[in-house]
Amino acid sequence: MTWTTRLKLAVGVVVILALCATLTLVLNRRMSQAVSAQATIVAEEISVGTDYAGTVVETFVEEGDVVAEGDPVFTLRSLVLAHDLSIGMVSRKAATYEVTDEGEMTITAPDDGVVSAVDAAPGGFVQSGTVLATLQRHGTISVDARLLLDPADFARIEEGSYARIVLPDQTELPGEVESLAVQSTRNDAEATLTITSAALAQQAGEGIVLPGTPVQASVELRDDGPLAGPDLAFQRFLTRIGL
Amino acid sequence: MTTLDSPSTEIPYTAGPPPTPGTTIQGDPQAAARRRDANAAAHSPSLMLVMLLATLGAVAYAVFLLNPDNRGDLLPYTLVVVAESVLLGLALLAMWTVLSSGYNPRDFAYHQARERLFDAPEILRDGATDDPTRWRMYLHDRPVTADIFITTCGEDVDTIARTVRAAVAVHGEHRTWVLDDGRDDQVRDLAATLGARYIRRLSSGGQKAGNVNHALSIAKGELFVILDADFVPRPELLVETVPFFVRDDVAFVQSPQTYGNMNSLISRGAGYMQAVFYRFVQPGRNRFNAAFCVGTNVVFRREAIDDVGGMYTDSKSEDVWTSLHLHERGWRSTYIPQTLAVGDTPETIVAYAKQQLRWATGGFEILLQHNPLSPRRNLTVDQRLQYFVTSTHYLSGIAPLLLLLVPPLQIYLDLTPMRLDVSVGTWALYYLGFYGLQITLAFFTLGSFRWEVLLLAAVSWPIYVKAFWNALTGKQQAWAVTGRVGGATSPFEVIVPQVLCFVFLLVTSVVGLWKHWGDDGLPGLSVAWNVTNTLILGGFVLTAVREHRVAMREQRAARRPQAPARPAAGDSRAARRDRNTRRGDRRRTTVTSGGAA
Repeated sequence: MTWTTRLKLAVGVVVILALCATLTLVLNRRMSQAVSAQATIVAEEISVGTDYAGTVVETFVEEGDVVAEGDPVFTLRSLVLAHDLSIGMVSRKAATYEVTDEGEMTITAPDDGVVSAVDAAPGGFVQSGTVLATLQRHGTISVDARLLLDPADFARIEEGSYARIVLPDQTELPGEVESLAVQSTRNDAEATLTITSAALAQQAGEGIVLPGTPVQASVELRDDGPLAGPDLAFQRFLTRIGL
Repeated sequence: MTTLDSPSTEIPYTAGPPPTPGTTIQGDPQAAARRRDANAAAHSPSLMLVMLLATLGAVAYAVFLLNPDNRGDLLPYTLVVVAESVLLGLALLAMWTVLSSGYNPRDFAYHQARERLFDAPEILRDGATDDPTRWRMYLHDRPVTADIFITTCGEDVDTIARTVRAAVAVHGEHRTWVLDDGRDDQVRDLAATLGARYIRRLSSGGQKAGNVNHALSIAKGELFVILDADFVPRPELLVETVPFFVRDDVAFVQSPQTYGNMNSLISRGAGYMQAVFYRFVQPGRNRFNAAFCVGTNVVFRREAIDDVGGMYTDSKSEDVWTSLHLHERGWRSTYIPQTLAVGDTPETIVAYAKQQLRWATGGFEILLQHNPLSPRRNLTVDQRLQYFVTSTHYLSGIAPLLLLLVPPLQIYLDLTPMRLDVSVGTWALYYLGFYGLQITLAFFTLGSFRWEVLLLAAVSWPIYVKAFWNALTGKQQAWAVTGRVGGATSPFEVIVPQVLCFVFLLVTSVVGLWKHWGDDGLPGLSVAWNVTNTLILGGFVLTAVREHRVAMREQRAARRPQAPARPAAGDSRAARRDRNTRRGDRRRTTVTSGGAA
C-alpha cells in the first residue's frame, strides 16, 4: 500500500466516523422527542352578551382588538330597559353596566383579553340572552396536544418539559408542558398535554394564532440514555456556532 | 450421402480432408454436440415459460413500486425507484435478447462454404494430409489468405509462447504474427523459434488498436484474427469461422472468451457474469445483427476494417467502437457461441477493477458521445436498441450504490422508501417475484447460480461511478497504481471507497441494532438489509485482505536482495525477474480485452 492510499483510508475512516456520530446524535435527538398526532390552539373564551332585547347603537371593537377590563364593547338601546328604569324596577346604580336615562346601555369587557368574534352590527336588533362578542381571556391561550406513545416513552414526559410548537406557517414557538392526562388505547399511551407558551400568548389574536388552528407540537422526553451527555454537548456546540 | 450433398460431388474438391485427431471439421460427431451445449437452454421451449413468468414478476414488482399508495418519503423512494427502474429495464431488455438467442447463424451458405473450404486433391498433391496447417482455404472457389495477430504488451514470455505455439498450429493455411508493443527481444526470439512473424512498432499510440492498424499496413491477408496474448486458440479456429465470410457483407465473426482459470472468488464471479453474456446475450444480439467484437478471438474481414478507416483508436474500448462503426456502415457481424480460444479472466481485485473500468468507460463513452438512439446514426431499430443496452448496461452497476443508501436513511433519519403499513410479507412477495425469478432464470439457463456474482455486483459500484465520470469528462484513466518495487499491487489501492462504505455500514448496523434494542419483536427490514449489505462488503474486504497479504509477500520477495555469488549472471537474472513480475502486473491491465456486456 502506498502512503497516499493509507492517508486516504485514514482520512476517509475519520470522516465516516464523524458522519456516523453526527447522524447518531441526530437520531438520538429525534428519539428523545415525541411528536403530536394532533394538536390545536385553544383559549378560555368569554361571551359578552345582553340581558335586554334591543337595538345595537354602536360597536366599539373589531375582531383582534385587545381590550382591558371595563372597556366599552357595545352600546345598546333597549325600550324594555328604559321601561324598567322608569318604573324603578332596575336601579342605575345596581346595574353591572353603564345605563343612561334614555335606556341606552354600554356593555363593557368583563376581563382583559382579545376580541375573537363580533356577532352584532349597529342597527341590528338582538334578543335578550344573545352573545354579541367573544373574547379570549388574556393569558389563557395554550395548545392541546394528543400524542401516541409507547408506555416507556410516556414515563419520560414530565410537567414542565420543553415543548416546541410549530405553527402552520412553520414558525416555531417555545413552550412547556403544563399538565398531562392519559388513557390507554391498545397498549399505547394516548397522552393529552396542555402546552403553554408565553410567545404564543403574545401573538394571540394576530394572524393564525387563533383557537382551533392546527399546530404541531413536539415534546422533549427526559433523556436518560447513554447519549444524554454527548447530546447535551452537541446541543451546546450547535448553539455556539449559531445553528 | 444426402441429396443435398450430391450436387457437390461433381466439384473436384468437395471431399473434406481426412479427419485428424484434435480437429472438429466434418465428420466429428463431438463438434456438433459441443456447439449445442454452450447455450442449449436457448433452444428449450420451456425457456419461453420461464421468461414469461420472470417478465410477469418484473412487471408486478414495477407496479408495486410505482403504486402511489405505497409511496414513502421522497428521498429514499426516489433512490429506490431510480435504481430499480434501471435494473428492471435492463433485465427486461436482457430477457428479450436472451429469448432471441436460439437463433443459429449457420445457414445453408455457411455449410456449403464449409464443405468447399479445402481442396482435397490439392492437399493430396502437396502431400500435406498430415499437416492441416498447410491446407489452403477457399471461399467462392478462390483461395483466401488469413493472418493471425497476437497482440502482446509485456506479458509473461511463457504465456506468449503457449499462445503462439497454438496459433501456428491452427488448421488452414495462415500466417501468424506477434505484434509486440512490449518491445521485448525474448519475444522476438520466441517468435522466430516457433515460426511466427514478429512486428515491433516505434510508437505505441492507439494502444492495441494502433498496434493492429500498424500490423495491417504490413500483413496483407484478406482475413485477420486478433488474439490476446493469453488466449490460446483451438485448432479449429479458422475452419469454424472462415466459411461465414462467404457472405460478402460479413465484417467479422466473433467467438466467446472462455476462461480456464475459474479458481478464485473474483475470477469465478467475473467469469460467471461473462458466461451469461457469451452464451445468451451475444447469440441473441446476433439475431439483431448487433453482436459486437470483444477484442479477442475474432476474425475480421480486412476490407471492412479498411472501409471504416482501421480499428478505432480514440478509446480504450476500441472493440465496441469499431463494431459500432462497422454496423453503421451496413456491415454484418456474426457471433458463434462456440469456444475457439481459452484465456484468463482477472483473478485479483486489481485486475478485475481495471477490466471493469475499461469496459464500463467504453459503454458510457458510447452513451455520452455517440448515443445510438440519435437519429443521426445509420442503424436499424434493432441495432439502436441493442447498442443502447450496451451503453447503459453498466448503469446497473451504479444502482447498488443507491440501494445501499436506503437502509441507513431509514435507520438514521426514519425516512422510509415504502409506506410503513406495507407489510414485510407483501414486500417480500413482490421483491422475490422479480429477483427470485431472475435467479430461477439463471438456474434454468446456466444450470447454477453463483453468490460470487451478487457479491461482485454489490461492491463494484465505485468502478462504474468512476467510469461514468471518466467518460463524462473525457479523461483517459492512467493506471498509476502499481507496486513500488515490482510485485503485485495491493488491492487496497483500488478499493478505498468500498472499505469506507464497509465502515459506514458497519457503524450503521450497530446504531440500527442499538436503536431497536429493547423493542418488542425483530428489528425492522432496514436493519436486516443493512446487516446483509455489511456482510457482503465485509466478505469483499476480507478477500481484499487475503490478496493484500499475497501481494505483500510478492513485493517482499521482489525486494529481497539477490545472492552476490555470481554477480554478473545473478544481476541480469534478477533484473529480468523483476521485469517479469512487473510485466505480470501490467499483463492484468490488458488481460481480457473483452467486450462490454
